[in-house]
Amino acid sequence: MTNLAMWSRLKSPWVIHFNSGACNGCDIEIVALLTPKYDVERFGIKLEPSPRHADVLLVTGSVTKQCAERLKRIYDQMPQPKFVVAIGACACSGGVFQGSYSVLSGVDKILPVNAYIPGCPPRPEAIIDGVVKLLNALAAPPAPKAAEEPQKEEAASEAAKEETVEAAPKLTTEVKPNAKQ
Amino acid sequence: MDILKILETKLQGKPVEIVPDYLGTAAIKAKEGSYRDVFKALMDADEKTGVTSITGIDLGAALGVFYHVRTSNAFITIQVEVPKENPKLVTVTDITPSAAFHELEVTDLIGVTFEGNPLEGHFVLPDTWPDGVYPLRKDVNPNEVKLNPSPPEEKFEQGKQVKIIIGPQHPALLEPEKFAVFVDGETVKAVQPRIGYVHRGVEKISEFRTYIQDVYLVERICGICNSCHACAFVESVEKILKTEVPPRGKYLRTIILELNRLHSHLLTLGHAGLEIGYETLFHYFWRDREPIMDITEILTGNRVVSSAMTVGGVRRDLKETDVPKIKSTLADLRKRLPFYTKVYREEPSIGLRMKNIGTLKREDALKLGVVGPVARGSGVDIDVRKDAPYEAYGEIPFKLITYKEGDTWARMNVRMDEVEESIKIIEYALDHLPTGPFRVKVPRVVPPGEVVNRVEAPRGELFYYVKSNGTAMPERVKVRTPTFANIPAFLTTAVGEPLADVPPNFVSLDPCFSCTDR
Repeated sequence: MTNLAMWSRLKSPWVIHFNSGACNGCDIEIVALLTPKYDVERFGIKLEPSPRHADVLLVTGSVTKQCAERLKRIYDQMPQPKFVVAIGACACSGGVFQGSYSVLSGVDKILPVNAYIPGCPPRPEAIIDGVVKLLNALAAPPAPKAAEEPQKEEAASEAAKEETVEAAPKLTTEVKPNAKQ
Repeated sequence: MDILKILETKLQGKPVEIVPDYLGTAAIKAKEGSYRDVFKALMDADEKTGVTSITGIDLGAALGVFYHVRTSNAFITIQVEVPKENPKLVTVTDITPSAAFHELEVTDLIGVTFEGNPLEGHFVLPDTWPDGVYPLRKDVNPNEVKLNPSPPEEKFEQGKQVKIIIGPQHPALLEPEKFAVFVDGETVKAVQPRIGYVHRGVEKISEFRTYIQDVYLVERICGICNSCHACAFVESVEKILKTEVPPRGKYLRTIILELNRLHSHLLTLGHAGLEIGYETLFHYFWRDREPIMDITEILTGNRVVSSAMTVGGVRRDLKETDVPKIKSTLADLRKRLPFYTKVYREEPSIGLRMKNIGTLKREDALKLGVVGPVARGSGVDIDVRKDAPYEAYGEIPFKLITYKEGDTWARMNVRMDEVEESIKIIEYALDHLPTGPFRVKVPRVVPPGEVVNRVEAPRGELFYYVKSNGTAMPERVKVRTPTFANIPAFLTTAVGEPLADVPPNFVSLDPCFSCTDR
């Protein structure tokens, strides 16, 4: 059963996209991924509107203070195991908006991030590369502990969630940016 | 400037000072509450009068409230000063309803309250923002502001009407923004917007960056119309510097701006297809949008955020060897256009989901002060490219597209026709590209001065107000984006129609909230 779940996760990751204060640059590149020229659906990657059905959360934008709570809520609604991909310079570190009064600068201030894809905006090829790297990293080690007991984890507390994150492979296509705040 | 003469005669004896050729246009300094008289006189004199923006500015001893007003052949700024202690003004929404959103924004960011404004509450700042702190005042350090621990609870009244909340995360909206739609059965009774989810405080950060850094900052206000933002800002700075861009630079800028419009319109035309369940059309449009991204990359070096504009010209020259590739790509797109035009004009499913939906009458469009394709779809012939030509638009022939119907269908068809006009403009500009330098060197320090500037972005009139204090950093940058002016149209037209018609109606505005919130 575990193998089947792992196989389906690798062959068809369902992604949800949340714009947490981006300029639309990254968002239109994500939509461009799904349209005929790049067409990631042929790899089984499917954009899913509901967080309750999604495996991977694609976050763009510098996380505004108004959005932060909603972003957290969407993450909490996703079933375990879940992965977060920060797309674009803003999601990685705040980008040009670093230091502003209404942004938190970086998704990792709120959520554990599994992969960073830098760029302003990253090209669709870079986003595909990032997602493929995430999937490869998932396939390489034995399945994370969280994958075996999804039900228990869901009810678990904040501490347990952080544990899950550590179990999930961390990889970065970029050195973690310095956080000013 | 005959409107100024009319105003002069009408406003005789009132404490008003008229200054022509100020701010690059004209300005009226109003004292002792006479600004309402100026508005009344303007409304009587010109039917196209609409508030483009209201800038709140910290002048040190007092607060300035600048009303930027568009009329059919002039652009006028009405300047009012209010004391810092208990700043209060009387609203002008009873004279021109287009001011409502702008007044609320000024209250939020600089703290001037407008008596009689029908709207209330935080508009762009977070819910947890403390009362009495206004980020755009110079004495406030926004980074030291302590946010309230939790946002106030939303009141929910049980009644006959049902409140349906769309957003902040919703599959139909690519951006986080909340709209509460009140429905009675299937009919929409009211729409309550809450913008500000993408508010990144661009106007405040721009005061801490140099002019060159600001070009890259304002470009990232919006990823779709980034060149327009950059162009509007660098033009403002050039106006203060009194720098003239060489002709080749002007033509290259025009080409980049039109490529921007092309990809933005194709994006929206496809998105509208997606919203009405016509996914094939969405994929067709996005497939044909990719070659445009490719030629943008050839010309500027990047697909989306092009960073092509700089103060004094453009950053890269166009290679002669790239011209055939650009031309053949545009020719390919032009071959496909008759098919798309036919689909948008004649396809029955498009007609059923778009015709007579979200109808905005001409007089309402004028009253609400909408801009761009939304105004042109309602028969209002406004376009900054024609009204106040900038860059090379004065030398390039093109048609101003208007439709009379005013519904969703008309707005989308305006965009459909503008795609063809854009291709024509680019081809003309490539054929008539002047030789010579493409940029001039400019000093880093900008002399004191202030200026207003307008650019026609894909979504409509984009407005910038830049004030320089003689240092390397601007004193105030005010941005008013087209969607900000167009949201009131949606709030009016959605009411009385079925809930299912909300998505096509909404998309026909081509909403862009990262622009709106800044």
